[in-house]
Amino acid sequence: MTSPLSCDRAGFADDGATPTKKRKPRARKRTSAADATAPATVAAAAATEEGGMPAAEVYQRIGHLTRTLHDALRELGYDKELAGTREQLPDARDRLTYIARVTGEAAEKVLNAVDRARNVQEDLTRQADSLRSRWQAVAAYTAADASRATPAGRHLVDETCAFFGTVGGQTDATNQILTDIMMAQDFHDLTGQVIRKVVTLAQAMEEQLVKLLLETTPPEQRKKIEHTAPPGSTERLDGPVVNAEGRDDVVADQAGVDDLLASLGF
Amino acid sequence: MSEPRFLIVDDFSTMRRIVRNLLKEIGFNNAEEAEDGVIALAMLKATKFDFVVSDINMPNMNGFELLKSIKAEPALKDVPVLMVTAEAKKEDIVAAAQGGAAGYIVKPFTKATLEEKVQKILQKMATA
Repeated sequence: MTSPLSCDRAGFADDGATPTKKRKPRARKRTSAADATAPATVAAAAATEEGGMPAAEVYQRIGHLTRTLHDALRELGYDKELAGTREQLPDARDRLTYIARVTGEAAEKVLNAVDRARNVQEDLTRQADSLRSRWQAVAAYTAADASRATPAGRHLVDETCAFFGTVGGQTDATNQILTDIMMAQDFHDLTGQVIRKVVTLAQAMEEQLVKLLLETTPPEQRKKIEHTAPPGSTERLDGPVVNAEGRDDVVADQAGVDDLLASLGF
Repeated sequence: MSEPRFLIVDDFSTMRRIVRNLLKEIGFNNAEEAEDGVIALAMLKATKFDFVVSDINMPNMNGFELLKSIKAEPALKDVPVLMVTAEAKKEDIVAAAQGGAAGYIVKPFTKATLEEKVQKILQKMATA
């Protein structure tokens, strides 16, 4: 494994022949310009030049601290707690994934229902329009001659015409409500993105825990802990802003987007 | 222009469906869907689309990469891309504008917002 302090992987290696050659930290009292890019000596060079402790001592101290931490974890029994936590993380991931799946299915069911309701509304509008025009003809017929209908009959015809006249407006209002119900299903996209982010975070935590456990566990028992956890995502995108309060790097709503773009001349 | 043909790009089927239904309500019935940038780019290269409505945070190829690919392709560079996304960071909004996006809508949004942006972009296209 490359040293965490190695610069090779970041592209700073000056040795063209062996750019990814692994180098062990070496104890040095002094550093020369030619050796300044040697992976293990970068921090040491900086430390020495700034009057800090020499590299060898830094590494010795880090190693000692790590050993002490590992011993303490084991002696206090925290290694078992870490193992327990690590075992629970996949379960937490599965539960979150389950929530995302079930809420997604629920949102789809609602959208299906909205589509069906829209079709019913369209049929209702069409039938009402057809009946209204026929009842209007009846109204005209009865209005032309008082003997063609009783006053109560004419009143009923007029009321029926008025009712069919309102159906269009009522179906429009219902369609607007259906649109609102449909728009509310965007929660699946928004919460889904947040859940995906948390799942990725849980994966990263699990990997770190596995690494820590491997280091605190005797070599003969390490096989039990090792697993093939998927690598953590390097996605930079954040998804929905869960809490915008106090943040000036994000916009709170569409008006914020429009203002920002307008201020930049777009 | 005859009725514009839309391509809706989003990894969440719910959101693709919502945008498609909203476009239908606004009066645009000609729309197809893609679940990520890779599929969208292949569809754009295969058939003619007049308008792209794209999410940003997607697997395989995100919205920024799709935008960049569209603008880099001579045959596609004039197709307007409206970003519809939950990404509300100012740097993302500016990056989208600088990358050539025709508009930016932050989720959750309303039908009125989508209609306003789509109509504005179509008018701009018509006068260009």
